Amino acid sequence: MRHHLAGLAAGLALFLISVGSANAAASCGVDGSDAASGEPIVIGAITGKTGPDDFSNSTKAAKAYFDCLNAKGGIHGRPVKYLVEDDQWNPEIAAQLAAKLVNDEKAVLMVGNSSFVECGANAEFYKKSGIIAIAGVGVPRECFFAGSYATTNAGPRVSMLGAMGYALDQLKAKSAVCIGPNIPNVGTWSCDGVMLLAKEKGLAAETILMDPGTADSTSTILQAAASKPDVIILGLPKGVTIPLLTAAEEQGLNQTIKFLSAASAYDLSVPGTIGPSWDGNFFVNMEFNDLEATTPDNQNWLAVMDEYGQSSDPRDTFAQAGYLAARIAEKALMSLDPKDITRESVSAAIRQVKGFSSDIFCAPWYFGDDQARHNANSTTRMAVSEGGKWKVISGCSPSPDPELADIRAFEKSAGLAP
Amino acid sequence: MTFLPFLISGLGIGAVYALSGVGLVVLFRATGVLNFAFGAIGALGAHVAWQLLEWRLPLVVAVVVAVAVATLVSFLYGRLLAPLLSHRDTVVRAVGTLALALVLIAVMGVVWGELPRRLQFPTDQMFLTLFGVRLTYTRILALLLAVIMVGAITALLSRTRLGLDMRALANDRDLSAILGVRIRQTETAAWVITGVFAGLAGLLLGDLVRLQGTFLTFLVIPAIAAAILGQLRSLWMTAIGGLSIGIAEAVLTPIAAISPYRAAAPFVIALIAVTILGSTAQAALKDR
Amino acid sequence: MVNSMTVSPPAAGLARALRGQLLAIPVTVAIFSGAVALLANSFWLSAATSAVALSLSVAGLAILYGQLGLVSLCQFALVGVGGWVTLRVGHAFHPPFEVSLLAGGFVASAVGLIFGLPALRLRGLYLALVTLMLAGAFQIVISAWGFPDGGSGFLGRADGAGRAMLARPAVAGEAVPYFLYVSIIAALGLMVAQWHKLAKPGRAWALIRKGETVAISAGVPVLIYKAWAFALSGFLAGIGGALLAGNVGQLDGRAFTAFESLNLFALTVVGGAYNWYGALIAGLLLRAIPALLTDLGIDGYVTIGIFGVALFHALATAPSGIAGQVAGLLKRLRARIGKDGAA
Repeated sequence: MRHHLAGLAAGLALFLISVGSANAAASCGVDGSDAASGEPIVIGAITGKTGPDDFSNSTKAAKAYFDCLNAKGGIHGRPVKYLVEDDQWNPEIAAQLAAKLVNDEKAVLMVGNSSFVECGANAEFYKKSGIIAIAGVGVPRECFFAGSYATTNAGPRVSMLGAMGYALDQLKAKSAVCIGPNIPNVGTWSCDGVMLLAKEKGLAAETILMDPGTADSTSTILQAAASKPDVIILGLPKGVTIPLLTAAEEQGLNQTIKFLSAASAYDLSVPGTIGPSWDGNFFVNMEFNDLEATTPDNQNWLAVMDEYGQSSDPRDTFAQAGYLAARIAEKALMSLDPKDITRESVSAAIRQVKGFSSDIFCAPWYFGDDQARHNANSTTRMAVSEGGKWKVISGCSPSPDPELADIRAFEKSAGLAP
Repeated sequence: MTFLPFLISGLGIGAVYALSGVGLVVLFRATGVLNFAFGAIGALGAHVAWQLLEWRLPLVVAVVVAVAVATLVSFLYGRLLAPLLSHRDTVVRAVGTLALALVLIAVMGVVWGELPRRLQFPTDQMFLTLFGVRLTYTRILALLLAVIMVGAITALLSRTRLGLDMRALANDRDLSAILGVRIRQTETAAWVITGVFAGLAGLLLGDLVRLQGTFLTFLVIPAIAAAILGQLRSLWMTAIGGLSIGIAEAVLTPIAAISPYRAAAPFVIALIAVTILGSTAQAALKDR
Repeated sequence: MVNSMTVSPPAAGLARALRGQLLAIPVTVAIFSGAVALLANSFWLSAATSAVALSLSVAGLAILYGQLGLVSLCQFALVGVGGWVTLRVGHAFHPPFEVSLLAGGFVASAVGLIFGLPALRLRGLYLALVTLMLAGAFQIVISAWGFPDGGSGFLGRADGAGRAMLARPAVAGEAVPYFLYVSIIAALGLMVAQWHKLAKPGRAWALIRKGETVAISAGVPVLIYKAWAFALSGFLAGIGGALLAGNVGQLDGRAFTAFESLNLFALTVVGGAYNWYGALIAGLLLRAIPALLTDLGIDGYVTIGIFGVALFHALATAPSGIAGQVAGLLKRLRARIGKDGAA
């Protein structure tokens, strides 16, 4: 009798495990059963891990995907050797590491880069070396105005204007204040977009550039609220956004003004950190799909992280960005003859990438061959802070950034318009 | 543009500078060491408090443990490490505390990372409203703590035996030893006092500014501006100096041309003060 | 207290000793650069270039601290000033690199002199803190301005399509030639600094350090020599900044915080402010050791912790820095071999 029960229990357990893992099985590459064992393909990445913020979740996710890929047959049998370096938010170090990866390690491609400083430091070097970077996360303007650098994220300006579009359409805002960091090519760039759009649509707008290193958030928020705007749009890293929102809450401004932010504040820890007094009052723009979406590719991303990443790796939008970059790289590499994978052939293949769809993106991603700049992800969604979590409240809509005119024109002419 | 609201918000940031500045001058008056790690020790305490609150422990426990941790770190440094540098000049001894700050940054970075967190106290919800600006009780608490500290330490230094020993020690270490001042005990007492103060200040700063290790550590640099205004000796002048630079920094906000640079206000004011007061300061400071 | 004032032999012997001590610099630098140029890969070459460039700024600090006992906690800000001017002049007029380099050096020297004005009456910790305030103010300004990258106007920011990189010197465009170029300039700079220490300025500074009253009664124009020290220190920092700018082609406004100046001073003390090779050692500590730890894959925060521990250890056990310990070792070796030396 006991044997029967034990056997039944074991069988049930096995059945449940197999069902569970069948649902959660990660899918990478050709999903072969043998690990890749050929000559490694060297792919590099530079991330800003040690410093004012930790951007390395992008490379962690890309690494999980490449590990999965290698376990399931690699690129036609060749494994990917993924080398990630931490530039510690220092452009000098970023340049040294780029030299290391490109010249010493002979990388054929950069995938999943996520650094605040490396676009400015390295974009020219990449162009000169004939290597392309499919970055996960880019922030300053240099990341979106370089020939050899394409990100999977939308960028702070596009994201901020996506939020502003929502404020105009859904919140019926008539006046706005834009708060951006006084970092050249980041804050001015983003808030310029807000001012430009405001002029186009005929609403009152004001810009405040603040020093992200300031200890005094209260004065900044008082200044912003002084003109009694309908909305305040923030384009700051989350480490600065949270003290600003705290100061606003202290002054009771969360009751009278709606606050919106670019995707830099979209992190699962934020709603819990800012607390219940912000429910329904803090809106954030999302460059990718909801982190808990049950759509196939999003679930695959989570499965890949579970099976091949560390349990301590945050599952956040940076991770989504890195995963997508890795998948795009895989798509391009798979189209090549495994015996002829060089920097030139890989770059040529990447340039041809178009129509890469994933339910994590709002619209299919493309590289944009011959384009002087790349910003394929320009369609975004919005979410609001509710009960310690984010609640998605809008579908995908193209960002109304006037500066995207050249991108939209290219998309139309190349038949890529979503 | 009315400046009144910014006067009040300036009191808020001024409290931060006053608190840190007084902490720096207290230890300097007592041991002759400028403690670059004041902010780091406080930040460590604040992180410990945050962690305990995350684990749903009562606020009192979190505060007490945080202050205890800060005091312990300060005590250990003062007892074991600071004496190794005691024969070097003042700047080298200050650089020694910089080394401590770096180690603490490393510990906080490894254990907690740089994710922005929020330290909240019940006093955040209670406030006074002046000129349309709310001054939370936490900020008022910071101001009070600075004032109490100044009063207490001034009394300690001028009325007690320990205070006399501390002043002698800061003035001339070797001579004091010859005179029979118990160097080790006095120094340790000074470091313990500074540890307690750093722990309390760290909790308040973690709430008022932001809970991020590196940021709180380097708040010590504008705090030095307050210390300079006090000419590194007068605790009252340091506190008032800290408030003044905070108010100056805040009231520059509405002036669009200067606003992005207003964080430089503490430094510029300190420099102007030095230029004006320079010669009188020299008498106060014996170069050891 | 260790000072580098030699016991003065007769004039001819002095000239010979001077030349010997000065020649040691280019010889050592040549051996070091040769080894690096031959053996290093791209990563290490870049790290070594930065290390040697920064050793010039350390040499400047060593003059102020080692010779005069004055602490300047704004040296890295002067490096930034030098870099800024070099970039602005380079992008505006496209002169030969050497012109931009010298422009950076001279402006940083002038700024160093201005920063030194309060020093003429301050000493010790107070001076250090005042210079720290200068570094703090510079940090705020430079993070807001950024560094010139090809645009117009005073700030020279290019908001257009691309950021321009500063062109390297015509003779040294590639990585290895540029490293050798930087080494040559560094050797020259170190020789200039060392000459100052060994010749009349050094003796004047030593007197000033002993006591200003003593110096004045000996007929030394104290103000001029102090100002000269600040100007020289600023010049070396500016040249270092210019060379750094040439290395990557650009500089970032957020990399010049007040903490960097604190760090630079700390490493000057650790490297050794009393011997010329202390500057090289400090430069390596600043850039090569972190590069090594990064190469080994050690977590960034752990690196900071290791650095803090090593800093304290060095402060506690080696008052003259690593260079001082090396000098002591050399002295013992020479004594053992039985040579007559400056001991």
